[in-house]
Amino acid sequence: MSASAEQSLMQIGESTAEAVMGVLQIFCPDEGQITKGLVAAVPNGTHPMEGIPTPSVASSVSFVDGVTGGNVFVMTTLGARRLAAAMMGEALPEDDAELTELDESAVGEAMNQMMSAAAMAATKVLGKEVEISIPEIRRFDDPAQALEAYDPTPYAVTAQFSILGQPCRLCLFVPNAFIVRMNRALSEMTTEYASDYTDGPLSALVRDVPLRLWAELGRVRMPLSRLVGLPPGAVVELDHEVDEPIDLYVDDMCFAQGRLVVTDDSEWAVRIEKVHGLPETASHPLSTTPQSLTAGPTTQGD
Amino acid sequence: MARVLVVDDAAFMRKMVTDALTKGGHDVIGEAGNGTEAVDRWQELRPDLTTLDITMPEKDGLAALKEIISIDPAARVIMCSALGQESKVLESIKLGAKDFVVKPFQADRVLDAVSKALA
Repeated sequence: MSASAEQSLMQIGESTAEAVMGVLQIFCPDEGQITKGLVAAVPNGTHPMEGIPTPSVASSVSFVDGVTGGNVFVMTTLGARRLAAAMMGEALPEDDAELTELDESAVGEAMNQMMSAAAMAATKVLGKEVEISIPEIRRFDDPAQALEAYDPTPYAVTAQFSILGQPCRLCLFVPNAFIVRMNRALSEMTTEYASDYTDGPLSALVRDVPLRLWAELGRVRMPLSRLVGLPPGAVVELDHEVDEPIDLYVDDMCFAQGRLVVTDDSEWAVRIEKVHGLPETASHPLSTTPQSLTAGPTTQGD
Repeated sequence: MARVLVVDDAAFMRKMVTDALTKGGHDVIGEAGNGTEAVDRWQELRPDLTTLDITMPEKDGLAALKEIISIDPAARVIMCSALGQESKVLESIKLGAKDFVVKPFQADRVLDAVSKALA
């Protein structure tokens, strides 16, 4: 494996493991309930599911748009039951009896939410929205069954977790195309202007000047006669499509474009994609994390 | 108190949403596990409000929302989205959804969205 491929693979593994950890900590918020262990690239010729403990439950969700790849979260049956109980606010079970239908649904939903978070992390890095499939649950009584269940890919990375005292493993089956795209994104992120831009030519004297910044969803022109006649409940169509970037203004100057996103706290934010006057690339340092705006998105008419 | 239809393909999420709504004094009058069922149940029950998951098999939440809004443009629908579904959330608001909640969510957030949609 080349150094750049390994770097990309580890980036995918680390960002996915962090996203998974973030969601698991919401379900199991007490200290020590969730711990993240080693994230490691799987050597060629080794199946990522090799050596899993059984009986176990595996929940798989694939990336289906933007990039492709398989993501399998495998946990002991007891671990799955405990996770389901924690999600439902119930006492943790001590035995690995069969999962109920509701337990299975809870585990599938946990995986769905973990992979949504992972897809969002991938979206940030790749600059393209990554979508996921509906979760699929499988049960294994024998480790050999797990090896047959999922076809190996050219690259794979695993992350170890402990959930409520039970060992769990996240296995990422990564196709070559995902590595190529991640390589490109990482290479763009490390180029040129990141450090220069943040230290830029602005004088220290003007750095603390407060500015009014707003995001504009779209515009519409209409005669005053129509404007004054608009009743409550009227729908005014704007000139921007849902999938178009929105404009960011400082006072009356449009200085950037970005995408409206939703934060973990259900708040609006804007991920900046292009700052006017800088080279057009998704690798602008401001674009790697959503930039919350102090003022919410507004609609402007003229 | 509102009569609510809860739609999600995951039985666990239906239970969580139902528990939250019941705790808030609302009456869950029906459930559906995909978009097709959602439209059928909506026509049958005519709920005051519907919570609608976005990603579901057979017919997703956006397609179901379109059909419900075409039947009753004043239908009150709250979308349940996972992280990273911003474009679908925006599309659903454009189609007529009143609000959205992002999973994983707290019961209070669901109740806030319901109050806002019913206001």
